[in-house]
Amino acid sequence: MDEVSVMNNEYDTTQYIVINIGDEQYGIDIKYVDNIVRMQKITRVPNCQEYFKGVINLRGEVVPVMSFRMKVNLPETEITNKTRIIIIKLEPNAPVGIIVDAVREVVTLSENNVDEATKSSMSNDPSYINGIGKCGESLISLLDLNVVISDKETA
Amino acid sequence: MDVNQYLEIFLDETNEHLQSLSDQLMILENEPENEDTINEIFRAAHSLKGMAGTMGYKRMQALTHDMENVFSEIRNGKMKVTSQLVDVLFQTLDALEEYKNTIQETQDEGTNDNAAIIQALQKCLDEGTGAGTEAAPEKKDEAPKKEDDKKDAGDKKWKNIKLQEHEINAIKDAEEKKMKIYGFTVFIQESCILKAARAFLVFKAIEELGEIIISEPSTQDIEDEKFDFDFSLYVVSEENYDKIEAAIMSVSEIDRAVGERINIEEILEGESEAKQGEGEKEKEQEQEQEQPSSEETKPAAAAEAAPAQTSQNTASAPAKKSQANKPVVNRTVRVDIEKLDVLMNLVSELIIAKNSIVSYSAAGQLGNNSNFNEQIEYLESVTTNLHESVMKVRMVPIESITTKFPRMIRDLSKKLNKKMELYMSGEDTELDRTVVDEIGDPLMHMLRNSADHGLESTEERVARGKNPVGSIFLDAYQDGNNVVIEVKDDGNGIDVEAVKKKAIERGTITPEQGETMSSKEIIDLLFLPSFSTAKVVSDVSGRGVGLDVVKSKIEALGGDVSVKTKLGEGSTFSIRLPLTLAIIQALMVIVGEEKYAISLGSIDTIEDIGEEDIKYVEAKEVINLRGNVIPIVRLHEVLGLEVPEDKKDRMIVVIVKKGDQYAGLVVDELIGQQEIVIKSLGKYINCTSRLISGATILGDGEVALIIDANCLI
Repeated sequence: MDEVSVMNNEYDTTQYIVINIGDEQYGIDIKYVDNIVRMQKITRVPNCQEYFKGVINLRGEVVPVMSFRMKVNLPETEITNKTRIIIIKLEPNAPVGIIVDAVREVVTLSENNVDEATKSSMSNDPSYINGIGKCGESLISLLDLNVVISDKETA
Repeated sequence: MDVNQYLEIFLDETNEHLQSLSDQLMILENEPENEDTINEIFRAAHSLKGMAGTMGYKRMQALTHDMENVFSEIRNGKMKVTSQLVDVLFQTLDALEEYKNTIQETQDEGTNDNAAIIQALQKCLDEGTGAGTEAAPEKKDEAPKKEDDKKDAGDKKWKNIKLQEHEINAIKDAEEKKMKIYGFTVFIQESCILKAARAFLVFKAIEELGEIIISEPSTQDIEDEKFDFDFSLYVVSEENYDKIEAAIMSVSEIDRAVGERINIEEILEGESEAKQGEGEKEKEQEQEQEQPSSEETKPAAAAEAAPAQTSQNTASAPAKKSQANKPVVNRTVRVDIEKLDVLMNLVSELIIAKNSIVSYSAAGQLGNNSNFNEQIEYLESVTTNLHESVMKVRMVPIESITTKFPRMIRDLSKKLNKKMELYMSGEDTELDRTVVDEIGDPLMHMLRNSADHGLESTEERVARGKNPVGSIFLDAYQDGNNVVIEVKDDGNGIDVEAVKKKAIERGTITPEQGETMSSKEIIDLLFLPSFSTAKVVSDVSGRGVGLDVVKSKIEALGGDVSVKTKLGEGSTFSIRLPLTLAIIQALMVIVGEEKYAISLGSIDTIEDIGEEDIKYVEAKEVINLRGNVIPIVRLHEVLGLEVPEDKKDRMIVVIVKKGDQYAGLVVDELIGQQEIVIKSLGKYINCTSRLISGATILGDGEVALIIDANCLI
């Protein structure tokens, strides 16, 4: 048992799915990602939170879909061929979709490549980020999904 | 012993026994002399003790043991049932319930010895029996004897054996060969350690004389010691009854064997009535067989009581017999609710798939083959039936939650020092299991509310010339596709002025608002969070967490709560719940470009209305439909769609109703009636107006939202 835990400590890495929102790159912990689907017909839900675009049919399941851009107060862009919906499951049986501009790749980051996101380093108080990952030359903002999905408006 | 596999059964049965104990205690409190009740309690307590012991829960066993002792004394007439005693017994039940809960969570009974309760029980026992330590040994001798007498009618357990066809055939063969058929139930002494071995010896002894057709429990189970201290057999033999019985009794550590000769007709009919003709003789036999054994163990003092006891026993035996036979008819299986959920989901998927085939065929994409259409119709009827059956399986009577209420009201009555009585009706009303599980707490809140706020104190009631004992009614009944549960009290009713004053005091509303509000609107304030009119906060209610929780919970289940009240006469809280949760019949409509579903249950009629029929009342659109003034709701507006420029002359109005209120929903087009599977929107989307109660997936894979018409009324 001891040996195994030592091994795990040595290789304490996390895989992230890297997505694009405009020019910025964000990382989503892969363990919460249930699925990535293409853009499809979204049924509007009246009188709900602004950033929820509606619901989709994901293989017989009704899944609410939110726009990441609207959630973080970015301007909406056109839906392109690269637009994807990332289906997140923070809890079993409670999926939620997040619309992103594009999905780039999967990266593996070890713990020492991740910096804590402190308030000072981030001026606009983007509390939906819980870390910065360094991958080669580029920086990836790691999303705190609980904050992204929660009801509270950021900013 | 690995008991994990039995844990679930243990918990289930413990629940049942605790409930039965609680029910019977309630009866006992009112009728302290009721012998049936005392016996019932004793039986339940005894089984509970046995089960706890088997599972190795020593503390639980100790507690039940002491409780059983008390009942045993009551049963023997050595103790009187007092209100104080019942209190202690209820405490004991609570403690047992606690053990059960701990076991459920941790598989361990915890470390609470409940010494105080055990002591209290002991005290009751000492006081009740006149602190007779001398009397104790005598009592002990007597107790098992009486138990034997009482149990005797239930002893013929072989009657509960269900015969399979091949066993019946074997019996028929034996009958043809002029062999005799006997039913036996053998009781092994409870002190016996190797009961499986003893049982084996009994089997062997019988097999020398005849043939064992079937045993209950099965031979395998007996070998594995999976039985209590008795087992039952059907035996065919050429020998007479006495010889077989003697053979059984020759095995040591056998307490007694009860049996009789059976006619083949009886077996075939599976009924006990036929036995009575023969019964007289049999019973004499039994009595003879019993008398000596009881005399051995019984001190002379109790001997007088014996004949009376036995004769009484004989008289009541036939009745009891038929009772004992009853459960055989009631064949049930316990199924994990999750398995049913899976089944339900599969049925839902099937219905979606069926809908999609129907929509293809309607679009003419599959050609116009009449045979094909016939099959589709057949498929439709099968899926509808399948859905109904699964739905029915999931339905449980609300009894499962209401049974604990009498006890609760009794406790409240003591705690609040108010006299009150709970009257319940319609406990057999059935609801979906998931709904039943959820409404327990809200109902409890409402009952507490009625007891605490609704009913006046006894003095006040007397002063007002009312019956000093307050009444609370819990009525449940089915109303169309809904189930209505009403909690009614004959208390003071809701003082609208007091509520208004309180609301203004708290700043919930302004005094000006208060002036213009109708009394109904003011009563609705009660459902706001942290609103309580009780002047004193008690631990029963009054913290203002009650009614708003009730409301939100009921609404989450797709139901609603309403109140009727009359000052001085009492109030009625009604909960209205949908019968089913998962699949409903709905009317599909088009509003703007979007498709919506409206539950058929809430639709009254569909009308074609001309623009000129719309009148205005207080600047709101209404129509006058056959004498009813019905407000018009333009769905375009409430759904946040653009209102089309060109106004049509005629419009389609769906009239929905909730109770005796109506509203007319203006839609663009009707698609038709369809069976839809309700899916939740998920917990993240927050539909502020509660207008959308869920979503469904249409045959073409599109998602359509379900409009909760109740919100629009």
